[in-house]
Amino acid sequence: MPDQRSTGIALRVDNVTKTFRIHHERASSLKQFIATGGRNRYEDFYALRDVSFEVGEGEAVGIIGHNGSGKSTLLKCMAQILTPNAGKIHVNKKMAALLELGAGFHQELSGRDNVFLNASILGMGRKEIANRFDEVVEFSGLGDFIDTPVKTYSSGMYIRLAFAVAINVDPELLLIDEILAVGDVTFQKKCMEKFVDFRTQGRTLVLVTHDGHTVREFCDRAIWLDHGVVRRDGDPADVVDEYTETMLGAETTEGAESSRRGDGRIRITSTELLVGGVPVDRFRSSDDVTVRMHYRATEPVPKPVFAVSIASLNGATVTAPSSRDAGDVPDSIEGSGYVDVRFEKIPLIPSRYVLHTEISGWDRQHIYDHVQNAQTFDVIAGETNETHGLVTMHPSWSRHGN
Amino acid sequence: MSLRSAVAHRNLLYLFTLKELRTRYRGSILGWAWSLLNPISQMIIFSIIFLKIFGGVAPRASASGIQNFPLYFLSGLLPFQFFVISVSASIGSVQGGASLIKKVAFPHEHLVLSIMLAQLVTVCIELLVLSASFLLFGHFMFQWLIPMAALLVLISLFTTGVALALSAANVFFHDINYLWGIVSQILFYASPIIWVIGQVESPVINKYAPWGPTGNFVDASHKILYENVFPSLAQWGYIAAWAAVAFVLGAWFFNRLSPRFAEEI
Repeated sequence: MPDQRSTGIALRVDNVTKTFRIHHERASSLKQFIATGGRNRYEDFYALRDVSFEVGEGEAVGIIGHNGSGKSTLLKCMAQILTPNAGKIHVNKKMAALLELGAGFHQELSGRDNVFLNASILGMGRKEIANRFDEVVEFSGLGDFIDTPVKTYSSGMYIRLAFAVAINVDPELLLIDEILAVGDVTFQKKCMEKFVDFRTQGRTLVLVTHDGHTVREFCDRAIWLDHGVVRRDGDPADVVDEYTETMLGAETTEGAESSRRGDGRIRITSTELLVGGVPVDRFRSSDDVTVRMHYRATEPVPKPVFAVSIASLNGATVTAPSSRDAGDVPDSIEGSGYVDVRFEKIPLIPSRYVLHTEISGWDRQHIYDHVQNAQTFDVIAGETNETHGLVTMHPSWSRHGN
Repeated sequence: MSLRSAVAHRNLLYLFTLKELRTRYRGSILGWAWSLLNPISQMIIFSIIFLKIFGGVAPRASASGIQNFPLYFLSGLLPFQFFVISVSASIGSVQGGASLIKKVAFPHEHLVLSIMLAQLVTVCIELLVLSASFLLFGHFMFQWLIPMAALLVLISLFTTGVALALSAANVFFHDINYLWGIVSQILFYASPIIWVIGQVESPVINKYAPWGPTGNFVDASHKILYENVFPSLAQWGYIAAWAAVAFVLGAWFFNRLSPRFAEEI
């Protein structure tokens, strides 16, 4: 069996440590250097500390971590752009690294010239490029524009061409930075399709991102890098969940400022999210969740309608039920108390949401109190692994045929 | 970067050079003519200064019989300018390739070598034009371009060494190009380009001018192009020694620093 192991490795990272010098008073000119007597005070910052792992042939590995976790440094070390201070990186396959689309494009040169230049920067030979040239142009959809200087291109054209070149470099091992985040949705989809192709051809992929969704959706292994060390390495669902939970735990206090309007005859004094009777600010998809609104009215308020609204971070309302819809509006209330809205098996998919609360008159026009961004909360993966859309309809699948 | 990866990326070097040549004069109406205009304007200025203001006498070449200061001047200036311009252009080239160095792994020396090659193309054209100018004065010397080519190889090695060292140093100290401006001025006047060995009163200068770091090849270039005399083997050996030492040291220095470029730039 040892043979199979050694041949099945596409990339091996062996006890890699990388430090950067943080300069206190950096002499950036010879004049300064001489004036300070050649002293250069600096501290070592450990970006990577003794990192080791192997990437098997045909694997799709996602490397996740927060900003400053060292994941970009690791990628640059793997791409041989940075040299580790200690340890070694063995690359056994023809590798291409996409850290930036169109790195090295030259504005004055035509698209055609840039294809040749860019492809050879990525390590292709002249014949190879010539053979694939038509394919590149076709994929880019640039047509006759290929012979005009790239400085006249729109940013969309620029990115399409850059991606067309990159994807046609045809490596066996592809390292990708978060470039998937660029471009419009259609383009991202096209990229994704190309990467899926790439995977089905049995090639190896290493993706570096801070986005758990991409890793979960796309990789069959995840490595979580935290402050320069590998914190977890394993099944993407597990690793991403733990990563997301830790990340969210670190930033729960953060969130949009709440604001309110209304005449204040009745006020929402506080809002709580309860799961199993315990206040929370994050819960799993399909948990039973109660929104509790505490109110206080200084005078009798006729026919108050309580309402909550759950919206995604980009502002789309997911649901906005009110007590009027439920036919539960008292003629008048006074004093203090609370109103519960219970969502059984809440069908939100994992993401971050905001909660708005409101008490209005029967006509819903007269606002007593409206709290915008009463609370921000996170839904983490539970019964569903869905990542697109806003809610899950708990679908069940069956396949019929031979 | 190892020599192997440099060879594997030779296509990149070719394209870098092509880019260098294509973009250099793009957007100017005179285009390539600019590369000739510069030495010609210098020739006119210095010929007036030398002949009219200082009342100098153009050296009479014993073998070729020619006596023409502008041609003498250009015979020395062209190889010298090849050296100085190549180095000046190279100094910022690594810094200028920052976006590439940070994003892609490739042999960094190609940034410098492509400038060298593009300048080599330029100087070859200039030398052809110079030879044609000799013809205009009734002197055929195209066969002397053969030893000149050999000399140019040595000058290129010397230039590459200096360019590699200074371009790498410039990543760490950004004032290298100012320093180079001063040094190249000193070298220009210290080399027998606008003056003639033997016409200077100081015997020390007459004696040591052909031994200077740039004086050596300027003098050899005068011998070959202007006087049509083959330099002595000792002179060839001396020039080759400068070239070898500069090239080896420059390449060593560059290779030592280049792994740090991506993080220091």
